[in-house]
Amino acid sequence: MIAIIGAGPAGLAAARAIALAGISVTVIDAAQKPGGQYWRHRSTVDGYKATRSEKYFSTVMGNPLVTYINGAQVWSATRSEKSIHINYLQSGVEKILACTDLILTTGAYDRSLPFTGWDKPGSMTPGAAQALLKGHGVIAGKSIVISGTGPFLLPVAVGLAAGGAKVEGVFEANSPLRWLRSPLALLLNPEKALELLYYLKQFRRYSIPVRFGKAVTEFTGHSVRISDVNSDLTIKKANVQEIECNGIAAGWGFVPDITLGGILGCNQVVDKDGTVIFSTDHQQRSSVSNIWIAGEATGIGGSDLALAEGHIAGLSVIGKRIPISLLFSRFRKELFARALQVSYPVNPGWKKWLNRETLICRCEEVTCGQILDSVEELKAEDARTSKLFTRAGMGLCQGRICSRNVAEVIGASKEVSVTDSERIAYSNRPIAAPISLGTLGDGISSK
Amino acid sequence: MQKNNPDAIVIGAGIVGACSALSLTNAGLKVMIIDRGSVASGTTGAGEGNILVSDKDPGPELTLALKSRDLWFELQEDVGDSFELEAKGGVVVARHDSSALMKLAEHQRAAGVTAERVNSAELHKLEPYLHPDLSEGVFYPQDAQCQPMLAAARIIQTVLARGGQLVSQARVTGFEISENSIKGVVTSRGTFHAPLVVNASGTWAGEIAALAGSQLPIAPRKGFILVTEPAPQYIFHKVYDSDYVANVASSDADLQTSTVVEGTRSGTILIGASRERIGFDGSMNYEIVRKLAAQATSLFPVLRDVQLLRVYRGFRPYAPDHLPVIGEDSLISGLWHSAGHEGAGIGLAPGSAALITDAILGRVSFMDAQAFSPQRFAGAL
Repeated sequence: MIAIIGAGPAGLAAARAIALAGISVTVIDAAQKPGGQYWRHRSTVDGYKATRSEKYFSTVMGNPLVTYINGAQVWSATRSEKSIHINYLQSGVEKILACTDLILTTGAYDRSLPFTGWDKPGSMTPGAAQALLKGHGVIAGKSIVISGTGPFLLPVAVGLAAGGAKVEGVFEANSPLRWLRSPLALLLNPEKALELLYYLKQFRRYSIPVRFGKAVTEFTGHSVRISDVNSDLTIKKANVQEIECNGIAAGWGFVPDITLGGILGCNQVVDKDGTVIFSTDHQQRSSVSNIWIAGEATGIGGSDLALAEGHIAGLSVIGKRIPISLLFSRFRKELFARALQVSYPVNPGWKKWLNRETLICRCEEVTCGQILDSVEELKAEDARTSKLFTRAGMGLCQGRICSRNVAEVIGASKEVSVTDSERIAYSNRPIAAPISLGTLGDGISSK
Repeated sequence: MQKNNPDAIVIGAGIVGACSALSLTNAGLKVMIIDRGSVASGTTGAGEGNILVSDKDPGPELTLALKSRDLWFELQEDVGDSFELEAKGGVVVARHDSSALMKLAEHQRAAGVTAERVNSAELHKLEPYLHPDLSEGVFYPQDAQCQPMLAAARIIQTVLARGGQLVSQARVTGFEISENSIKGVVTSRGTFHAPLVVNASGTWAGEIAALAGSQLPIAPRKGFILVTEPAPQYIFHKVYDSDYVANVASSDADLQTSTVVEGTRSGTILIGASRERIGFDGSMNYEIVRKLAAQATSLFPVLRDVQLLRVYRGFRPYAPDHLPVIGEDSLISGLWHSAGHEGAGIGLAPGSAALITDAILGRVSFMDAQAFSPQRFAGAL
């Protein structure tokens, strides 16, 4: 039996490839509707070529070969020689899905950088803003500033504007000239030019100003302060502009969600941009036999690459030959993903924006000063030890948001770079989603 | 590395090493602490911070525990109130037949432990959320707790302020020994010379002894601790099952679980403790996690709706007879051991440090440390 965890672009592409071959497959996902973080089932509102998601939705919804388990929070998984057991919660009840082959398409979430006021109400990530909009349609009437880096800021800005928000501006920290470093990626992905034109048109339509080399470095709750930044993200000129607004959506690329693959023992490596990802072969196989991984968890690359990887993983699981054209398609999208890393780096200068009072861990309200003191006075040398001293990363998000920032702040203060083994250590956790002690304990007798 | 030679080198920046270093420093020695990682990166960083007298049978370990518990409060005076030391008290609940627990309490009372037998009404007054069917137990007001990582860090900070040194990320690779006397420690960050070395390396103590050409039968015993989301205060003491006492003393290699439940200042609830002898295998075992959850909710049904957020694992260093090893090596003079405290290292650390400092300086100590001597294993391997 084949199972897929995740119903985003990669998972849906894999399911579609398997179902089209006449083989049954189970797709399990945390959301109520398919689409993942990026599509979220809604195809209207925003985005270039967003309607292409419709064909994937129809493949999993109402296809007799596809069993779709929705609203399922996978909290752990175990494997033996012959099978993999996925333990999940659905409406508070624990269930187990057993499979022989597994495709993990667990996606990614926004990367946040701390800045003064990022803990105030109204501060969110672009992904959260998009979720609010697509899930509930509640953005209308707000005035919002978008800051950070990366092409994802564009569809979010357009989506918010189309949803009735006043987008006061998009402040992209990096220069568009960085694209000149990746001529081959641009040459092999000409359709991306059309996508850019589409967004430029939308920006004109909604009168959204776009500025480069700038970042929001403070949010007061009712306004943002913008600074000019250098290419290493240090501040060139502080507080050059102040804009009244009720919201700030700041995002600095993405963090792959690698928890489940980590629990199942799939080999991880550190990507060039410092994110922890899975190593896979040309057919998307992980280091563990019978587990394939596709999409953002193998390296941030966007939905186009995720679709190609998911398609390849689906074909590989059922033993089908992978067409050369599909492999080439993945190749050129990988080149584009590399170009994205080169064009939208999150360089280390952001740590210079922080002062001692800036919160690094929002859940446990740990400041930058407390982290630095744990290094200076208590001799913490890594994120784990600092966490034990300060509680940074021990709250509800379990360090998903802050542990990387904690490690990098410590690294900078000791003038060393964060090691790969530390990056892998802070990225993994044995409990993938919270589970009540009652449900957990009851599991013994039911088995 | 250009550093002045210390009088003594302590291997291990966990709680046992930290306390040993402070005790030697306060006795006037210049101390260097060496660790393969950083402060509290081993067992100390994976524990609850138990300072217990309730789980020990009368005998040398209990004598050490009682003294050590008092020394913790002296240590707090010396170092400052900075590691959440709290005499919160322990409640041991008799799950089935209470006779074994009551007998233990009686023996403990004879040995100087305050152990108050409590009836159902008193038990539920101490712990209002306890399962109503549980009707008997023993209250141990001396049981205490600290935040062990902060304790180790604050103690080491004090050592450094008094002229000590800390060398982190230095893995011990050998020793300089001449005529069976220790001369120095060879590490991945250089060789350091001192006529005295204290091996306080916890689960690695056996390997360290072997590097010196000696032997110490210390092995890891794995345990899991569950951590919940912050919850209202449901639990007021350290509450555990009377089975816990039996498991602590057991030599069975198989898994044992018996619940220890307690709240923390941050509102999270900690649930331990499993014990397994399977070497340094760090893999996750969800059946153990389920078992601990089931035991905790059977003590406190209110916990059924509390969410588990994370699980952490650690390895306790243990010796075959479950007693710590405190004393000079049987073969190498100048090499001292203070290790193998199993799950009681936080509680026993200040007492062990006092014993080892007294022995090194030839002073009369508060108890006879013969039972802890490394000599007891000489020729036994």
